[in-house]
Amino acid sequence: MAASKITSRSTIISLLIGAVFVVLLGARINSLENYTFARVVQDFLNALTLGSLYALIALGYTMVYGIIRLINFAHGEIFMLGSYFAFYAMTLTPLPWAISLLVTIILGGTVLLVLRSLFNLEEPKRTFVLSLVIFGGTFFLLTFRKLGWVEGLTLSMLATGVAGVLLEAIAYKPLRGAPRESMLITAIAASFFLQNFGQLVFGARVRGFNAQTILNKPLNFHIGPETVYFTGILVVVPLITALLLWVLNLFVSRTRLGKAMRATAQDAEVAQMMGVNVNQVIALTFFIGSILAAAAGVMYAIRFGQIHPLMGLMPGIKAFTAAVIGGIGSLPGAVLGGLLLGFIEIYVVSLFPTLSAYKDVFAFVLLILILLFRPSGLVGEDLTEKV
Amino acid sequence: MRKSLLLAVLVILGSFAFAQVKIGVNLELSGRFAAIGNQTLNGIKVAHMQMPKVIGQEVQLVICDDETTREGSIACAQRFVNEGVVGVLGAISSSMSIPAAEVLQDAGIIMISTSSTNPQTTQIGDYIFRMAYTDDFQGKLAAAYVVKDLGAKRVAIFRQIDDDYSYGLAGFFDATAKKLGAKTLVQDYVANTVDFTAQLNNIRGFKPDAIYYSGFCAEGAPFMKQLREQGFTQQVVGADASDDPQCPEGAGAAFNNWIFTGFATPNLIPDPEAKKRAEAFKAKYFASIKNAKPGDFNGFVLAGADSYNVLVAAIKKAGATDVKAVRDALANMEHYPGVSGDITYKGTDGTPKDRTIGFYQYKVKSANDWKKIELFGKSTAEVQ
Repeated sequence: MAASKITSRSTIISLLIGAVFVVLLGARINSLENYTFARVVQDFLNALTLGSLYALIALGYTMVYGIIRLINFAHGEIFMLGSYFAFYAMTLTPLPWAISLLVTIILGGTVLLVLRSLFNLEEPKRTFVLSLVIFGGTFFLLTFRKLGWVEGLTLSMLATGVAGVLLEAIAYKPLRGAPRESMLITAIAASFFLQNFGQLVFGARVRGFNAQTILNKPLNFHIGPETVYFTGILVVVPLITALLLWVLNLFVSRTRLGKAMRATAQDAEVAQMMGVNVNQVIALTFFIGSILAAAAGVMYAIRFGQIHPLMGLMPGIKAFTAAVIGGIGSLPGAVLGGLLLGFIEIYVVSLFPTLSAYKDVFAFVLLILILLFRPSGLVGEDLTEKV
Repeated sequence: MRKSLLLAVLVILGSFAFAQVKIGVNLELSGRFAAIGNQTLNGIKVAHMQMPKVIGQEVQLVICDDETTREGSIACAQRFVNEGVVGVLGAISSSMSIPAAEVLQDAGIIMISTSSTNPQTTQIGDYIFRMAYTDDFQGKLAAAYVVKDLGAKRVAIFRQIDDDYSYGLAGFFDATAKKLGAKTLVQDYVANTVDFTAQLNNIRGFKPDAIYYSGFCAEGAPFMKQLREQGFTQQVVGADASDDPQCPEGAGAAFNNWIFTGFATPNLIPDPEAKKRAEAFKAKYFASIKNAKPGDFNGFVLAGADSYNVLVAAIKKAGATDVKAVRDALANMEHYPGVSGDITYKGTDGTPKDRTIGFYQYKVKSANDWKKIELFGKSTAEVQ
């Protein structure tokens, strides 16, 4: 009885807040000069792209959290690695055949090892075919021509996935039984390490990511006398995010490995007793999470045109916020949170130009409000434990 | 007892044998301003190579990287206080210079910021000097250029609200542009912003004739890319923070035709004697720095070199490493023949009297194929 009273009261309060908010917003839009329909559409498209990018990164965060309850702070750096791999794949190719052979052996060998351990490919015939495809494919891609964004993206996703698995094996696996705080601190340390490692290996300078791809092609259209400007990437990013969300949902809900993942998420120990290879499932989670981060990294680099070793920091924090807003551990929640964050960032600037420097404040105030009223996020399941 | 005596003797002997003048260098060697920081450091190093000794003692540079953070800059300043340096060169940006200046002023150590342009920096105290002009001058010149020479009636201004330099400069630009009869619209962003689409959508209705950007390259590169993608074709004018290879390298062809004000390069220095010194220094620079790219030599290198030169000259004049005496020598310096021009601190707040600002334009074909062309130079003496 008492509980339902409290719930109905908080519902009324949030409805009231919502109503006041909508009225204020309407008044604000009315009072702005020059805020035409074309500008509304333009803002909407910009917000959708930014939100989808955040969603793509947040998906990886939320997956790892869902399985091992670890907030992988190094996720932003994995995202950075993804964009650098694509950058090198797209600018350095075609490689001389000797170097390309060396890269193929190192990269292909690691990929093969990781893939084999992840997907139980013990059968000799299958392994042979797979290794042929991977080695042949990588060598072919690297040697003969300059890579386009699709090949660059594919290579980078593979390489970043492997990097994610290595990160897990080196930094997190030895701490599997340790208190959760130790893992959290290790994640922060891994994040710092990768930032500084990036500065050392890739150089501290900003690099331009100016590959002329179909994604940069202007696809402007007119609304009345005004033009709405947008490029291919505004279509591709939301599409890729939606596609990946769909595939992931299918994978987690329909496949054997997905089932093993869900079992591990519920209770790793019991899952292990039932014959689930928990180590493999966790490595697979990192593999998929890192692939998503790489996809986001490449899209981000193409959209904003530059990469640097510290680029993962802000998007990482934003995506983390998005994942928490949506309900950390939930895949649709991550996408919802990411989109919400993107829309807030764009609309705060366009509706309140004088407050545009404080757009992050709005995002974090929203985070606090949501956590006050719905501690497990917008669509999150009720978890008693939080980090 | 005997051991400590021995140690004391050794220390005293050692200090005689290796009598050194310590000069601190506080620069942004990593992080957002890494490119400019390293250019400045190269300038200081080449100047050090040319004059490695003063009053018979070796000069030792103590280099500290502030990582382009305020905390890092304060930590560097405190380290220099503990090490007992005579003076500190740097930092390059106002946001890092101001917190360091507060620490060093309290400790009574000389600081010469190489390229901080915010007027506040040298007003912190009598131990704080700079090598640059100030932003009221830079903003005024840029606004006069945009409104009069480019004929812009409506100017959109982009400023980074959490940076002392960018915020201050945009204010001076705005005031002068308004005084000259132009309409302005200011848009704010913060450090590490990459998405400018909403701000760009805001200025669409304003229909600007020109755009002034008072920030840095880390944000400038994505800004320019989106500006051009969103259909804006207006001339963009920036300030000395865009005198950084990270701008054209980051944005590629989108940066083409960007005009900016910056420290004068040898060609733009009006005084023929100073120009000769700058040319000689440039030759020395390319002879001593390995793998130096032509685009890496700019006014920041000269400012770095001169910050070292004036400090060493002041030590020489004082004849000792007593900080108070060196400060007095520096504050009374008149017509020092620097590589960036004539330097006079006498009667100023620590800002050299006669500085030259150059106007430049980027010509960018791609991220790897770009050049900077020199338009013209204006000296502070000529304008005021």
